[in-house]
This record gives sequence, structure tokens and C-alpha cells, in this order.
Amino acid sequence: MYTEISRRQFLAMGGKVALGAGLAGPLLAGCGGDGGGSGQVTYWSNLEGAGPQDYFKKNIEKPFEKANQGTDLKVTFQPSTEMDRLVRTALQGGEGPDIIMTPGPAYAQEYIDANLFAELDEYSDQYKWDDKLLAWALDLGRYEDKLYSIPYQLQTMLLYYNKTLVQDKGMEPPKSRDELESMAEELQGQGITPFAAGIGDDPAAIEWFPTVFWNHYSGPDALYQALTGEIPFSDPVFVEAIELFNNYVQKGWFGGSREKFFSNGFDALHADLGDGKAAMNIEGSWFLADIDDFFQDSGDDWDWAPLPPLRSGIPAELYELGLGSTLSINARAQDAEGAAAFIDYLVADKKHVAEWMAAVPSLFNAPLPFTESDFPASMDDRVTRQLASLSQATDKGNFGYTAWTFWPSKSDVYIQEEMQKVLTGDITPSEFCSGLDETFTKDRKEGAVPKIIKPGSS
Amino acid sequence: MEADRSTMEDGTGLAKYAGGSGLRRRRLLTAWLFMVPLLVINVLVILGPSVATIYYSLTEWAGIGPAEFVGLQNYRDLLADGDFWMAMWHNVIWTVLFLTVPIFMGLLGAFLLSQIKRFQMFFRIAYFVPYVVASVVNAALWQNILDPTRGIGSALASIGIPFLDGVSFFGSERLALPSVAFVNIWAWWGFILLLFLTALQSVDHELYEAARMDGAGRWQQFLNVTLPGIRPTFVFVVLWSIINSLLVFDYVYIITRGGPAGASEVVGTLLWKQAFERFEAGYAAAMALSLSFVSGLVVLIFIFLRRRGWEV
Repeated sequence: MYTEISRRQFLAMGGKVALGAGLAGPLLAGCGGDGGGSGQVTYWSNLEGAGPQDYFKKNIEKPFEKANQGTDLKVTFQPSTEMDRLVRTALQGGEGPDIIMTPGPAYAQEYIDANLFAELDEYSDQYKWDDKLLAWALDLGRYEDKLYSIPYQLQTMLLYYNKTLVQDKGMEPPKSRDELESMAEELQGQGITPFAAGIGDDPAAIEWFPTVFWNHYSGPDALYQALTGEIPFSDPVFVEAIELFNNYVQKGWFGGSREKFFSNGFDALHADLGDGKAAMNIEGSWFLADIDDFFQDSGDDWDWAPLPPLRSGIPAELYELGLGSTLSINARAQDAEGAAAFIDYLVADKKHVAEWMAAVPSLFNAPLPFTESDFPASMDDRVTRQLASLSQATDKGNFGYTAWTFWPSKSDVYIQEEMQKVLTGDITPSEFCSGLDETFTKDRKEGAVPKIIKPGSS
Repeated sequence: MEADRSTMEDGTGLAKYAGGSGLRRRRLLTAWLFMVPLLVINVLVILGPSVATIYYSLTEWAGIGPAEFVGLQNYRDLLADGDFWMAMWHNVIWTVLFLTVPIFMGLLGAFLLSQIKRFQMFFRIAYFVPYVVASVVNAALWQNILDPTRGIGSALASIGIPFLDGVSFFGSERLALPSVAFVNIWAWWGFILLLFLTALQSVDHELYEAARMDGAGRWQQFLNVTLPGIRPTFVFVVLWSIINSLLVFDYVYIITRGGPAGASEVVGTLLWKQAFERFEAGYAAAMALSLSFVSGLVVLIFIFLRRRGWEV
């Protein structure tokens, strides 16, 4: 049906549309801008799950706003695996949050090159971040001697195990390669998967394993040399580490079989560990945040141990250093000062951070020089021990490197994608390492390698 | 002409004519003004990004920051990219699967449903439901059903039927692509069935009667009455299946992300990885345009066939 409208009505409608469009401009422009202190700070957080998110709102967001009257903190929770893509898309459209989270220092460089990050040196002086934060971590946020990002969510790789099961079998967590292999064979013979493992939910998680095998087989000295360009990644010491991992997967030690390793999701593999269908799990310290959930049904106990050396000459207690994210300030942030105040509150306020770390293990780990006495007595002693062990080992220089923190982003993506082809037999460990060396050499020439700290020099 | 002139010379007629013309102009103007927002939206969300994609496909661009013009280099790289051709081959396999399995099932299901009156609506709804359920829900459902340790395989094994026990449908290089296609077909075929059923119901029943009187059996009736009767729908389904198969993304991305080791990679997931994991958005744009080119080619072939007199 055709309904006529009068010219007056039409003009009135057109006027409203035009007015709407006219208003939309300034409103949309308000999302970006050059600064001036709007009092609103937008932050996209990678916290997942109702528990951590509610904790954040109640114990971090509200207290921060109370302590910083006039600053309105707007928090949006984004899936951690999608964060970088969402941020890139938003920034490309001239939008994005005031505080930008990246997956790690190696990923921050492209943003800096595109002039999307504000320099933080002024705020570092104001909040004395040089005095508060660990020097090695802060150095990872510098680019051409200017500070652009603040390291966050300090991580390491651990060997989790079902304590009840392992003790029932009269075993102990392995302390050497021989112990690990004999334990794995015995467990497999009894129908228990030695290591709960799988990349079905996040294929990129395959990088945990080259990270662990390179650190605990090749060793941090060899990795330092490779990351600084002294030796190539095609060196036999790296190839052998990949061969060893591949060998273990083909034996079905990781996830039960190669096919299951490809398809197992995190919930399933964690449930296997909690139910005693699997004995151990190699994963980052972030798993401390929800490991208890998977042991509730069985009532079993869990614990963690340092990953064992897989070759002679590798330190017995060696922890890979990793950062789950970095925090930077959007160059277009309206209230950059408010954003800096929040970063300081979130990362550098030792007393508060220790409380949050005790309440929600691992997810709020800031690179601060903690001692055991900094943490409340209510903290799970396994978490306290993990933090203390990491701190002590780092003090001795017994640290290694995680791929997602110290490898440039393209080399990191190469590891994530090509490692699967080694396991399927499409490429050999040697071809994999040669390809990595090629990609890494290009990355190095482009200046994409973050600052590498020397083992023993923390 | 005489009559026209006389009308124009007539004062009343002239006013009438002028009034009619003005009204038409107003109506036309109003229609165009209502079209403007739609046109603006289309320019903003379709034409603009399309032109931008063409431009970025000629650049080296990380997805953020400035883009460097490299001419046709991305397209030259694409021709030599083994991963791209492997993904394209997987799209071809996917297309073949979607041109056969769901169309056969849809036709058969529609024919069988057309023979019954009771519970027809129940079956229609039952078959159609998976199509309207979000792909992420369907994918999660089948990931659980086909889980190698907690799924149907181990359930069957527990009652003495062990042949699927421990089979990792989505973790096996051999099974991953057909398994994901199976999940997508499960969600898709009910929709095809409904399209065919609607088409079948529009075929004149007298034609069947005439065919029967001529001694035609069921199969001959299907070939000579049913198929010609539903040809427009059939061709539409074929065209749509081809284009959907070339652009497939969601189920592969959700279930396997193209793995293991690229065994289920299709061009859609590969270009997503290029853009958002490898940060080679310029190259991804070239890949996307190449895919659009192939889809466009399919449409052009159909248009060409129509012009040649095919009833498509």
C-alpha cells in the first residue's frame, strides 16, 4: 500500500534525520580524540569466566574509581584468544580502548610502528615504575629506548600432576628425562595417559611444547644465542628437542594419541587430569586459577613440580619467563592520565596486587619483586611456593624463554602453525627448525626481536 | 495527438495534467529520498570495503598502520602458494560433497514427506531446526558427540560395539574435513528439504496422473515430471550450494580451525589466518578477491547458460 506524506511531514522527518546525523558526528568523535581528560577510561580485559570477572569488578574496578574520583573506568571483557584481532580491528577504525592489551611484547611493536601507542616515559617517572617493576620485564616494553608498554600477567610453565594418583602408584614427579620416560611407559602400560594434552580448543597452544622442550633440552644458553642471532635455530640442539617431543607424541604420551592430541579440548584434558585418567599436564601457571574445579568431582589432590631437565647440563629448577599480555595507552586516548593511573593501580600497587594474586591465582600476576611475606596467609601454599620458586630461580639466573614473549610475532606464528606438520609427518623436525630460522632471520633484520635478557643476568 | 493537445488547451485539463505530473515527480522524489539511506548504507558497507579490499590486495599491509603499494606481487605469491591451492582443493571437495549428499537427502526427504499427511509438519520442523540453531551450538554439540573418549564411540564400546572407540574424527588428518562437512550438512540439509518440498507441492498433480495413464513408473514420473517441475528450485539450490561451499568458514573455524596441520583448511579460514594471525592483511585481501572471482565466475556461467536458453 502506498501512503502519501505531505511535503511538510517529509521535511520534518528529513530534518530529524539530518539532526541525528549532525549529532552523530560529535558523538562518534567523542570516542576518540586528542586528549583533554574526559574522566572516562576504557579498558578491554582478557579475563574469562564469571569468577575472575566478578572479582575484577568488585575488587579492582570499584575501588579504583573510589580512589580516583572523577575517573570512570569502563571495562569490557573480551575472549583472550580474540583480543588481538578485536583490538586491531577497532584501532584500524580509529576506535579501540584507551588501554590497549596485546598478547606480549613481540606483538606490541607493530602498534608502535603504526604510532598507535602513547609514550609512557613521563608516566614511568611519575609513578616510579623503574623502581617498582622488575627491570627485565620493564625492558621488554621499551622500543628504541622509549617505554611504550607495561608487562603484565607474568607466567611460567609447570608440570602439574594428580598427586593422589601418582602417590597411589608409588611414583614421584620426574626429576630427569630417564625418570620421565620410565614413568610415562609404566603409566601408559596401566592404561593411564602420562600427559593430559590437546590443542583442540586453541591450536596455537602447541607452542607450549616447543617452548618447554627447547628450554629443558636445548637449554636457555642455546636459546639466548639463537635469539640474539649467534647460532641458527637449525642447530642440531634445537632439532633434537623437537624430535624428542615428536617421539613422545607418536608414542601417545601426550593426550593418548596423536589424533587425540589434535582434538582434545581444554575442559576434556583438564577433566582427565582431575579424574585420574591422565597423570600429568604441562601447562602455564595460568592453570592455577581454575585447577581446583577439575579435582572437585574426584576429590583427588593435585600439585605441581618444576619441569625436569631433559639433557645433562640443564638446571634442575628452570622456569621459562613469559608475559601473558602487555598494557599500553592508546595514542588517541582522551584521558591518558587516567589510563596511566589505572595501569599503575593494576600493575604496580604491590599490596593490592598481592591480595588479588592470592584471591585469583595467576591472572593478576604483575612483574613485581615479591617475597613470600608479601602474600596473605590465606593464599594457597602451592601458589605461594610457585611464586617463590620462580622468584628464587630468576634471582639465580635459572630462567628460560617462552615463545609468545621473546620470539617475534611472525616467528611465533610459524611455530604455532608448522609444529603441527611435524607431528603429522608432513615436514621433518629439521625442516621445521630450518623454516623457523628463515622466518626468525627476517624478523631479526626488521628489528622485531624484543630485548633478550641473558641467563644468569637477572 | 489531437486529443492530447485538446486536453492541454483545456484549462481544466492542463491543470489536471500539470497536477498529475507534479504528483508523479513528488512520488518519484519521495521514493528516491527513501532509497538514499539504503544507498548510503550499501556504499558504506559494501562498495567502500570492496574498493578498499581491491586497493589493499595491491599492498603489503599488516592490518594496522600504513600500507605499502606492491602492485600485483600478492597475486604472484598466491599462484605459488601451496597452502592456498591445498585450501582451494579442500573447497572443491567440500563443493562436491555439498552438491551431492544434502541435495540427494533433501530430494529424497522432500519426496517422502510429500507422500504423508500426518506428522508432516512435525518432520518439517524437526529437520529444519538445526538450520536455525547457531553454528557454534551445532558445532559444540557434534564435538561432544564425536569426542574420542567421551562421545558416541566410547558409549557404543561400552555396550559391545567397539568399532568407533577412540576414533578422533576432528583430530585425524584423513577424517577432519569430511567430519566437519558432515556437521555442516546435518545443519544444512533440512533447509534444502523444505525448499524442495515447497517446489514439489507446486507441481501440477494432473501431470502425474497423465504420466501414470501413459504407463510411467515412479522413477519415470520423477525424471519426467518432478525434476522438470522443480528445475528452477533445483538450479537455485545448486548455485547456492556452490557459492556457500566456496565461502565456507564458520564450521571449519569453530571445529578444527583448519587443522590438523591444514588437513581441513579452506580458503576462508586460510585468509582469516593470513589477516589476523600472520598479520598479512594485504595478502589476505588478494586471497579474498581471488575467492570472490571464482564465485563470480560461477554466477556468470549460470547467467550465460540462461541466455543460451537453459531453463535455469
